Amino acid sequence: MSTPLLSVRDLHVEIQTSRGLLKAIRGISLDIDAGQSIGIVGESGSGKSITLKAILGLLPKNARITSGEILIEGVSLNSLSANKRAALLAEKIGIVFQDAIAALNPVMTVGRQIAEVPYRRLGWSKEKSHQRAIELMQLVGIPNAEERFHVYPHQLSGGLRQRVAIAIALSGNPQLIFCDEPTTALDVTIQAQVLRLLMDLRQKEKTGVVFVTHDLAVVNEICDEINVMYAGRFVERGGVQDCFQHPVHPYTYSLLKAAPDMEHQVERLFSILGEAPDLTKPVSGCPFAPRCFAATDICLTSEPTLQLVGSSTSACHHSGSFMQSLSALDVNEGGAGR
Amino acid sequence: MSTTLIRGKSLTGRLKFKGNGSFYLGIGIISLLVIIAAAAPLISHYDPTGQDLLNTLVPPSRHHWLGTDQLGRDVFTRIIYGARIDLTIGFAAVLLPFILGTTLGLVSGWFGGWFDSLLMRIVDTTIAFPFYVLAIALVFIVGPGPKAIILAITLVGWVAYCRIIRAAVLVAKELDYVHAAKLSGLPTARILRKHLLPNVISQAIIFSMSDIVLSILAIVSLGYLGLGVPIPTAEWGSMIQEGQAYILQQWWIPTIPGVMVVITGFGLSLIGDGLVRRLNK
Repeated sequence: MSTPLLSVRDLHVEIQTSRGLLKAIRGISLDIDAGQSIGIVGESGSGKSITLKAILGLLPKNARITSGEILIEGVSLNSLSANKRAALLAEKIGIVFQDAIAALNPVMTVGRQIAEVPYRRLGWSKEKSHQRAIELMQLVGIPNAEERFHVYPHQLSGGLRQRVAIAIALSGNPQLIFCDEPTTALDVTIQAQVLRLLMDLRQKEKTGVVFVTHDLAVVNEICDEINVMYAGRFVERGGVQDCFQHPVHPYTYSLLKAAPDMEHQVERLFSILGEAPDLTKPVSGCPFAPRCFAATDICLTSEPTLQLVGSSTSACHHSGSFMQSLSALDVNEGGAGR
Repeated sequence: MSTTLIRGKSLTGRLKFKGNGSFYLGIGIISLLVIIAAAAPLISHYDPTGQDLLNTLVPPSRHHWLGTDQLGRDVFTRIIYGARIDLTIGFAAVLLPFILGTTLGLVSGWFGGWFDSLLMRIVDTTIAFPFYVLAIALVFIVGPGPKAIILAITLVGWVAYCRIIRAAVLVAKELDYVHAAKLSGLPTARILRKHLLPNVISQAIIFSMSDIVLSILAIVSLGYLGLGVPIPTAEWGSMIQEGQAYILQQWWIPTIPGVMVVITGFGLSLIGDGLVRRLNK
């Protein structure tokens, strides 16, 4: 077996808040092979963005990694000096942020921002970097790339800005792109274009993608593998098809059920009651239990760990019997739906 | 190409001041003062320090537009030569603290840690120290003259820029594009210079406009206290100080330099206001 491009081993992150210590990430492991595309899905506060930030070393001051290991091609980041770590991350990983206007320097032309990494870090000549920037702009589908090289971010539309941000992420030839909700700030048509672009790039450039989002439909479009995150842990992971068609965790099931569906007319959308648990308090039992339609006594006392169920893994005491119970139980009537 | 795109403008190109009349008025006033100061020998054929003891305390006339002082020196000539000294020291005494404070604020805000803590304590101490006491002490050490004034203003003035820039950096360094620049492995010096500095400097520029007014006031005050530019060099502060004995009979002698200080301050304030309006929109 080859070494995965990026490996996260039992990562724990704590955030110091005014209400006490918040255990934002409570043990996450992840392997990403070159060219692979994985999605991390969860609601706000589930820890998905913090996971990305922890890997990239962008955690805010009040947060820190308490245990766990991050390896890039088998090299542990803990064993490297800060400079070497930054250099390794920069070489392997590019990042696309949610808000493209915040992700671009307002007083620098977009072309120069794209050409900056080839020119400054890869040590290319000015002309070659310039040429590369224009190629990248064409690659991400910016029309009139030659002219737009000299344009400032505020002169571009939201969709074009996000394309520029993607071009910048690609400018260092990374093997993996982290996308932190890159389409959330865009309207639906532009969103579709940007997603298509990311899919094309995956095929053309063989770049791996880690896609963090709360939008299940987006993951369905772009990812091979899905990781559903809840309360700082993965609760279900597996192939996109498996997870979407046969969810084995009640949370995934509820999320899918809560998404509007064009095919079935429903009077009221299914919703998951309650809120995500307060992670400043110790977690006893399954964190999803208070909101779960399938919860039983055992769920309140012991926290389940990821177990293989069919082709997916799931952290639920009832995963095994869950599929059967679903057919017997009409979830809408079952309790959590109201 | 079917579409024509607006070619991006440089940072200065962005500063367009449409419908900002008072800004232009300020620019006009300051430009006029600078031109008058620069062209002083062409405007007046008198020597600013040349005495004419037969024509002392002459009221304004065709020969002496603003009269003469107690030593028969032409007041108008002394005013425009004084503008040279006061404007030069005023700008120089802002430029140095601007550069020093901005650099330190940038580094302090970016790296944080013990350097930041130490620097901020120095800033606190400096702010707590009375300016004129420091200035007087420095004049005694360095000796009176422009050097001592600029040194004194720099030693005190940098803290404002340092604080402004540091605060802006603390906000800006958490912005996505700075994170992105950091992640893409660019050298720190370049991130500071190209990604942070241009985006945090506007507040400092705005402040520098009012700071020039303050430093000219400080120069004039030091001149008035006899700690400024040594006499007989024409300088507005010492002109006020020397002229105050004649305020009842020849009121224009001490008043005109004061009016010049007010006009300069007014012009710079208008520029500052215009910049605020444009950059803080």
